[in-house]
Amino acid sequence: MLKYLLFEGGLYKHELMTEYLEDVGGFIVQKNVAGLDLIMNLAVPEEELENVKKLAAELKGKIKLAPLIGVEVAVVAPTLSRHHLPHPACDVAENLRRHGAKTNIIGLSRGVGQKIVHSSPKERELIEEHDIAVFTLGNFERCLTKYKPPLYKDLAIPVIVTGGPELGSLEGAQGYVGGIGRYPERARTGDMIDKLRSVSELAGAVVEERRRELDLDPLVLEPTVVKDEVERQIPEAKEALSPNPVTLKIDGVRIKLQYDDYKEKVSGIVINGKRLGEYSVIKRSQMRDYILVKVLPASMFQ
Amino acid sequence: MQTFVDSTDRMGGEQYRYIAEKMVEDLGLTGTVEGIWMRIRPEEPFFIISIKYREFVGKNTIAELGSVESRKDGVKITLFSEVDVGDALKTLWGVYGRDRVEQGGRMDIRVNGVEAEDVKCIKIREKPIDVGSKVNELALRIIPEGFRVRHVTKRDGEVTIVAAEDPIKEEWKRQAEAAWRA
Repeated sequence: MLKYLLFEGGLYKHELMTEYLEDVGGFIVQKNVAGLDLIMNLAVPEEELENVKKLAAELKGKIKLAPLIGVEVAVVAPTLSRHHLPHPACDVAENLRRHGAKTNIIGLSRGVGQKIVHSSPKERELIEEHDIAVFTLGNFERCLTKYKPPLYKDLAIPVIVTGGPELGSLEGAQGYVGGIGRYPERARTGDMIDKLRSVSELAGAVVEERRRELDLDPLVLEPTVVKDEVERQIPEAKEALSPNPVTLKIDGVRIKLQYDDYKEKVSGIVINGKRLGEYSVIKRSQMRDYILVKVLPASMFQ
Repeated sequence: MQTFVDSTDRMGGEQYRYIAEKMVEDLGLTGTVEGIWMRIRPEEPFFIISIKYREFVGKNTIAELGSVESRKDGVKITLFSEVDVGDALKTLWGVYGRDRVEQGGRMDIRVNGVEAEDVKCIKIREKPIDVGSKVNELALRIIPEGFRVRHVTKRDGEVTIVAAEDPIKEEWKRQAEAAWRA
């Protein structure tokens, strides 16, 4: 299984790290250079973790585990009105991004109220395109426990809920973090930032669990390999103006190019002598007609 | 400003107290709102909010907003509130031009080549500041979004709103009438 790490260090001799990763079958997911400082998101085979840590120490860099790297998270608010945005949804999303995730904020059209609360099939399909969903709900226990579960309980992806009341768990959700209900300002206090951090840690634990499940029936191709080949064989993918034009997911990638124009090209990408279309399901995203590539498990080809 | 919250969900109610106080600050109504009373019943469900506020008569002309003194070559205007400085400068620049109007101090403006009587009646705003609509906006920002059925009553210096998902019951209206006395 690959472990995802955040490396912070200097540019000097960083090629020792990149060459080592190539040798052991690791990947650089993202590289950011600011002056002489370097931040890299890395994917490393689990058995090489200790060696990578030693190498980072020799290079006077810092390594930390960041399981949210390579994960696309949907942060779902009940609506896009000022009652629910920007706080707390944007605060939750920002904290998730600081831990390496790529986030999209989704506002439901009718996520408010008790009897009127509702999500449409299209909204659910859009949320299920992501790896996990974080629902940012309100302050009243009765609403959270009795009326809001229909929004998320039948989703095919793991769900974390945030709300005001301190509850241990919520039916239908894989995790719940209390103390973050509806609030009217940016999270500035130590308590609030700790709460946001616990959302990211819970999301990381859920993602690790999902990766362990995938490890039982590994994918025929690593999504990081798919990302690299898409960027190499379709230059327009790297040049697209959208942020993260090729977004890594746990079991595939999202390519921010028009489905109708690029579907054939994406399907024709050659990896290990075979076309990508043979290894994966390629479909149209609900988000602006982008392309979703979902890599299939190896067991389907045995 | 006093805030009273009566909620069967105690923690939810306390969070709404905080939301109400922050919204008053955000809208710049700290000196205007005298009190907010809320009754929250998630089990019914309904949300009653009553806001008491000081009525404010909007002042528009330079004479109403500050003092005007004649000087040898023009006038000196001293505004009472810093809030009006921006609008006053913009209006005076538009009327007399930037080279004749300068800001002498934080609240002082000098206008050259005019008489005091010419300047006193200049309006710096077309519409007076409407406190009532700001208080309405405050209530709308506090009330949970899902409670779209509303019953509003207004008196001088007080607005009370009953909000719910279902048609408003007479019992809820009676509770709203008794706000501040309950």
